[in-house]
Formats: sequence, C-alpha cells, structure tokens
Amino acid sequence: MKHFAKLLSAAAITMAAAFPAHAETTLTVHYPMPGFFKDVMDKVSKKFMEENPDIKIEFANPSPTYEEGIQTIMRQAGTSEMPDLTFIGLNRLRMADERSIPVDLAPFMAKDKASMAEQGFSDTILKLAQVNGKQVGLAFATSNPIMYYNADLVKAAGGNPDQPPKTWDEVIALGAKIKALGNGVDSVDFRWQGDDWMFSALLFGAGGSMLSEDESKVAFNGPEGQKAFNVLSRLVKEAGMPVFTKAAGEQAFVAGKVGFAFQTTGALANTIKNVGGKFDLRTAEIPLLDPVNGKLPTGGNAVVILTKDEAKQDAAWKFAKFAAGPYGASVVVPGTGYVPNNELAAKSPEYLGDFYAKNPLFQAGLKQMPRMIPWYAFPGSNGVRVTQTIVDNSSRVVDQSAKPEEALDDAAKEVKRLLPRS
Amino acid sequence: MADMTAISIPAEVPRQKAPKPIVPRPIVNVSERHEARVAWMLAAPAMILIVLFIVAPVIAVITLGFTDFELGYSTFKFVGFENYAELFGDRTFRQSLWNTAIYTAIVAPASILLGLGVALLIESETVGRSFFRTAYFLPVASLLVAMATVWQYLLHPTIGPVNSMLAMVGLPGPNWLGSAGTVLYSLSMIGVWQTVGFNMILFLAGLTAIPRDLYSAAEIDGAKSPIDRFFLVTLPMLGPTTVFVTTISIINAVKVFETVKTLTEGGPNKASEVLLFTIYQEGFVYLRVGYASAMTVVFLAVLVVMMFAQYRLVDRKVHY
Repeated sequence: MKHFAKLLSAAAITMAAAFPAHAETTLTVHYPMPGFFKDVMDKVSKKFMEENPDIKIEFANPSPTYEEGIQTIMRQAGTSEMPDLTFIGLNRLRMADERSIPVDLAPFMAKDKASMAEQGFSDTILKLAQVNGKQVGLAFATSNPIMYYNADLVKAAGGNPDQPPKTWDEVIALGAKIKALGNGVDSVDFRWQGDDWMFSALLFGAGGSMLSEDESKVAFNGPEGQKAFNVLSRLVKEAGMPVFTKAAGEQAFVAGKVGFAFQTTGALANTIKNVGGKFDLRTAEIPLLDPVNGKLPTGGNAVVILTKDEAKQDAAWKFAKFAAGPYGASVVVPGTGYVPNNELAAKSPEYLGDFYAKNPLFQAGLKQMPRMIPWYAFPGSNGVRVTQTIVDNSSRVVDQSAKPEEALDDAAKEVKRLLPRS
Repeated sequence: MADMTAISIPAEVPRQKAPKPIVPRPIVNVSERHEARVAWMLAAPAMILIVLFIVAPVIAVITLGFTDFELGYSTFKFVGFENYAELFGDRTFRQSLWNTAIYTAIVAPASILLGLGVALLIESETVGRSFFRTAYFLPVASLLVAMATVWQYLLHPTIGPVNSMLAMVGLPGPNWLGSAGTVLYSLSMIGVWQTVGFNMILFLAGLTAIPRDLYSAAEIDGAKSPIDRFFLVTLPMLGPTTVFVTTISIINAVKVFETVKTLTEGGPNKASEVLLFTIYQEGFVYLRVGYASAMTVVFLAVLVVMMFAQYRLVDRKVHY
C-alpha cells in the first residue's frame, strides 16, 4: 500500500512538472428542481467548459425544490461544503441577502460594463435580481403569468378563438358560456394556490403595489387590491370557477375540461406535452386591469455567487454571466416555456429569433416582457410567512366564505402584524 | 420523533440495574465489581448511541425552542418563553392542533375497529386467507406519496372516477379535497385506508396466539353464540395487542404529514393544516427554527402525555 502511494505521488509530481502552466479552477454549482433544470444545466456547463478550458464545473447534489435548495445553502453557508454558485428563487433573494449570503455583483459588472450591454443584460432585466438596489444575482430563468385557453371549448361556447378575451369582463362573460356547456366542463382555473404570485399578477396588473414605497405601510388593500379581489370573486360568482387544488386544476385543464387557465409560462412546455392532441391549446397575454400602466410579476430564479474566495469569484462571475447570457437563455426557453431573461437572446436569430416564429404558443410570454417587474418579497423574518396570509385570504374569496372587501381587510391587518416594527 | 420517544421508554430499563450493595467478603467484592464493569461495558455502545441520537437531539430542540434562531444567521439570542407565548396566540397553531385532534379522533378508532373486523374475517376464512392478507397489507407497503397522487386523481371534483360514479346514480359529488368543509374528512379516509392493513396484521398475530381450547371451554360453559365467545374469549385475550395497536395508531395519526403535503398543502385556508405540516412550514419554509423547535417540544409533550395517560388507564384493565 505504501509503495503504491509513493508511486502515485511520484507520478503526480512528474505530471505537475510536465504541465506546469495549466492552472485549473473548479467551481461547484448547486441548483434546485432537477426535473426542470438538469438537462439545461448539463448543456450550459458543457458549452461553458468548451469555451473556458481552464475552468471546470462540478455539480453539487441538486435540491428537489426551491425551498429545499435555499435550506441547503443556508445550512452550508460559511462551511467548506458551501457550493461556489447556486440558483435561488427570485422571491427568496431578499431572504438570502438579509443573511448576507450572496456576493455583491456590482464590482464585477463595473469591470465588464461594455460587454454586459452588448450581451443583452438590460436594466429591466438586471433589476429582477436586485435587493434594495444591490445586485445579488443575475436572472437565469424568468417567467410571467399568461392565459392558456382551450380553443375547442371557446368555439363551442360561441367565442372566436383567434380573438381571445382582452379584459377580465370578457373572460368572465365567455367563461360563463363555457360553464353553461355542461358535461362536467368548467370555466376557469386561476392559480391562486401556493404563493402570492398570481395575486400580484392581478394587483400589479391594476397598477398597485404590495407595500408603500418606503415599505412602512400595507398598500395592497387600496383600490387596486379591491379590484384584484373583485375579479377573483367574480370569476367564481359569475363564471362559476370551481375551488380546485393546484394539481386538480392542472389535470382538469389538460383533460380538456376547463376553458381558461391562468398561470406561469414556466408550465408551458409541460402543458403542451400533457395536452398532446386532445384539444387545440392556445395562449394569449393575460388581461390587465390597467392596460396602460399594468405590470406583471416575474417568477423564476437567479444565479447567485456564494464563494468568498477571490480567485474563484472571477471564474464564478464568468459562469454566472454565461448561464444568464444569451446562450443560457436559448437553452432554457425551449425546454421549459420560461421567457428569455436576455434581450439579445430573444431577438437574435442566432439564438431564439427563429424559435419564436416557429412556436407561436411561446409568444404570449415574450410579448409581456416589457411589463415584467420583480416578484415582490416582503421584508423581515416573516417575509415568506406573509405570502401565506395572502393565499389563505384568497382562498376565502374563492370558496365565497368571505366578501372580497372583508378578506382583503383581514389580509392587510395580518400582514401589518407580521411586518417588522420600525 | 414520536418513534424515538416510544423507543426511549423501554430503553431505560437496563440502566435501572444499579450496582448491588457491597458485600463484605473481599473476593466476591472483586468479582462483582468486575461483573459490574463488564455490564457497563456491554451496555455502553447502546447508551452512547441513545445519548447521541435521542437524548442530545431532544435537548438541542428544547434549547433551540428558547432562542430566536433563524436558519442562515450565524448568531441567535435567548428569548426565554417568547416563542411559547407566541404559540398560544398563533391562529395557525391552534387551528392545526384542532385539525390534528379531529383527524386522530377519526382515523385511530376507525382503523382499529376496521383492522380488528378485517382480521376476524380473514381468520375465519380458509380459502383466500393469504390473498386477502396481502391485499389489505398493500397500502402499508406502498409509497404514500405516490399513492396520494392516485387519490388526488380519484377524488378530482370533475374528472375523478369517484365523482363520476356518484353522478351515475344521480348524487352530486362533493369537492373532496378542494372544499374547506370536506378536506379533513377526505384526508381521514385516506389515513384509514392506509392504516387498516397494518392494524389487521397486528390483530392477526394476536388472534393466532389465542389457544383454541379456550373457545371449546367457553362453549361448554354456555357461550353458544359466536358473539358471546368473541366478548368472552377473543376480546380479553387480545387485550395486550389492542393496547399496542391503539398506541401505534394514535401516534401514526398525530404524525400525519405526507398526504397533507402532497394533496392540499394545508389548504384551503388552513382547513387541513396539521401539526407536523405547520412545524415543517415554520422550520423549513419560513426558516424560523427557534419557533419551530418550540412547536416540536409542544408536539412531543402532547405525545408523551397521551402515551402515559393511555398506559395508566388501559394497563389496569388488560390481562397479560
């Protein structure tokens, strides 16, 4: 055994002497949701290593969900097990930053200014991964909420599938007609469960915001929030939207039993696959309560640098920029339905220009890109808990156990209690 | 966690063998001391493991329950009973305590009675015994998360087979998992389905241990009907088994988590929020480890108190 070790070390020394100049950096990359991202990550890292032979990418064990991903990172933060880069959900960036986990990217960007703009990192896109003005990451996979509809049911109810509804009033009117078709057909599935993202879609779409500008007061219970909860309530009352669980809604839609579904573009590739040839699936932009000033929340994740080792940081920055850059986007979009987080990727035929011409279902998300603003994350240690309050009160509206005004007031009261006292 | 407490009670038995009083004769003394040393050495591995994997984590959880620790921060401070004070005013926690109580009150008795019934039926069956035994045991052996997905489809409000069948006979099917009024009962139904097989196996084992001649003796003594014989012989003889089955059933029901996580996420509006799910949310999603630890302590305390009360009450009536 001893002999063997000696032999090995001798061999190692000769090797090192033979190739002295080859300094290799190894980066450990961690990411969540391998079901969505494994192929994407493999492809991106392979291409990156081809272009940068001196940097080696290794993957840490991926986490099944965003939540588990961030737990893993927080447990490993500051230890030797901590990966050099990770991908964090856009609504969890604030939580990570409050614990000073991400490395500030401003100095790297300052060095790279010219090439950043050239590679399609616009200000709007950079803002998605900022927390209080600090650049904590680069948006990697981004999504916005769109309208999916079953053109066969729309036609059967007397609508024109080529002219999808543009306002919530039209959705509700057509939804009621679809519901009237009978035979177990439902009008609408609105993804209010799970998190506050789709509530934000209504609220931001009406031009509202969650908190006041200085984050000291609750603002979602203003007129915009009222309108948002009223739409939710009318979808149930007038269009007969049933109380679905998340999975039940998805199943019913892909089975061809629901007229309209409102949810993330991220689900597009899966929906196309699950629908197959069962019906004529179409997508369109989501109606906005304020068509002029309305905004939409951005879902998805951002690549974040964790390593505090300066030698590694340069390599990590290279990878982050590459993954969030046009090549990364051109791999992410077709595989999932996410919208490009990069303007160059969206427009250039070298990347996705042709893809959009050939795949019209993907265009709805693309058209909404100018409206995308960050998914709002609440401040303080109850930041994530707050969103559950909004979900719970949305569910009271959907099952009609509370009037929209009542539920909104209760939500505002509870959120106020959970915000940090300043 | 609950399993651990259940195990730790019998595990204390070897430690009660305290060193015997010193005997005056020196030779015996030496050999006895030697024996005691060997005994400690033999018990040491088990004791170290118990301290390492049961006692230490429990102490850690109790300590964390008095801090404001949040995952990701490197420091924390002691806040005394603040977490516990917050617990008693927490609507979510009260709701989940209540929901868990209802769930347990349905699932434990139902699965015990059904388990006993099925075991008796299988015991008296000669032809298909092993088939039925396997069939009823399948839900126990299957992966609950995967099975939950199947249930989710079966109970789908519009395209689910259950509601389709109800529609065929003209009944309006409820929105099983979607409505606040029915969700807890639907989950209880799945819980019963899952535990009946396990209880059945335990009862079957208990039944085979009853000597046949007791039945003949009872018959001679005038217990002519099978119902009489059941109450006179079977039920008392199953006493110890029943105590065990009841304990396990209650622990399992209080520990419900997988179905809630996969099917309802505690919704709608906390109608299916249960203890372990609340702890999971606080600790792993909201990352408030200190608060979640306080909840865990309450959860453990509830289980331990229940177990003691049960042993005290039932133990007196059972003949071993």
